[in-house]
Amino acid sequence: MIARRSQVLGALALTALVTAGCARGCTSARPPIHINPSMDDQPKALPQSASAFFYDGASMRQPIPGTVAIDGLKEDTAFHTGKGADGEFVATSPVNVDEAVVERGRQRYVIYCQPCHDARGDGRGILYQRGNVPTASMHQEEIVKYPDGRVFDVITNGTGLMAGYRWPIPPADRWAIVAYVRELERKRLAGGPGSVR
Amino acid sequence: MAAIAGSLGPLLAIAGVWYYFSPWYTDVGYRPVQPVPYSHKLHVGELGLDCRYCHASVEISAVANIPPTQTCMNCHQLVKRDSPLLAPIRDSVTSGRPMRWVRVHKLPDYAFFAHRAHVAAGIGCVSCHGRIDEMDVVTQTTPLSMSWCLDCHRNPGPNRRPVSEVTNMKWTPPRDARALVAQLERDRPVNPPTDCSGCHR
Repeated sequence: MIARRSQVLGALALTALVTAGCARGCTSARPPIHINPSMDDQPKALPQSASAFFYDGASMRQPIPGTVAIDGLKEDTAFHTGKGADGEFVATSPVNVDEAVVERGRQRYVIYCQPCHDARGDGRGILYQRGNVPTASMHQEEIVKYPDGRVFDVITNGTGLMAGYRWPIPPADRWAIVAYVRELERKRLAGGPGSVR
Repeated sequence: MAAIAGSLGPLLAIAGVWYYFSPWYTDVGYRPVQPVPYSHKLHVGELGLDCRYCHASVEISAVANIPPTQTCMNCHQLVKRDSPLLAPIRDSVTSGRPMRWVRVHKLPDYAFFAHRAHVAAGIGCVSCHGRIDEMDVVTQTTPLSMSWCLDCHRNPGPNRRPVSEVTNMKWTPPRDARALVAQLERDRPVNPPTDCSGCHR
């Protein structure tokens, strides 16, 4: 009888412990405890991981100045800088623009440009709405008259308050965005869709 | 009676292991404190930034990168430029030392995972990371366990979506989901590995 009572009490105590403790789905800021740590965390350098060895605390290293990565030789200056051999901006894109390129440009525009320049290219995006930051409209005469190479250069290196987008957007996608911006401008000028303002 | 009571202990032990040793308990709900309280709810949910504005390498690399701090400054050189909460970001930009963000979603080091392949197959970000656009603090919502991976690898269809909708947090399957799955399977058949070396290479 006593043994049975103690067992019941024990079960009750365990149940109380379990229910008072954290059930599945509640959150914790402490790192997960793995019952069997196995080789879950190995002393190897993963992308963007920390390093106790290098002075800047990062396991990923910057290339030594002057190194050229495979496929990193940028001989086609028009494609990589928007400038021809004479150092002037190229008037038209060095990329063959077809529907697929414009569609790719639209997708990339939505990701990287639309936040500030808005879907129509009027410059009424987040920074304008929230921070009252003047944002360029793609449809002002000055920009419409830019050579393609100059639009590419602005995306690459930024201008005025705008930062450069060299890092997140590869050159081919930057040219695709140029093609899409030109498409937006053409449609506005032709009074087609998007010519509300 | 004594026999029932005697078997209660082992039963509880089994239930305890089943419940508490599972990644559904040990890993789901991990919500580390980050050095800067960046809110995905604000930036994604309210401002509508696409995942790839920051995590730009997700389509072309195995890794969905954490952005360089310069990315933050695209906007924060102009808005909230003096916020003390952003001081670590400004320090990182000027010093060139990376931020020490705390990693939330981590597979074991012996498991290979490529974001590139999953995005190309039309697996939405939300399928593994949950509704990031509703999270002020990013929290792990899925166990990222082997059995959970295999559930999808054995039957990926229901988790596929058009590639154009991968980063869309609010996408829901159309009414005729089966037709969409068939369509996706026609356009781009996938054959996710279920053998050991598919992930443990």
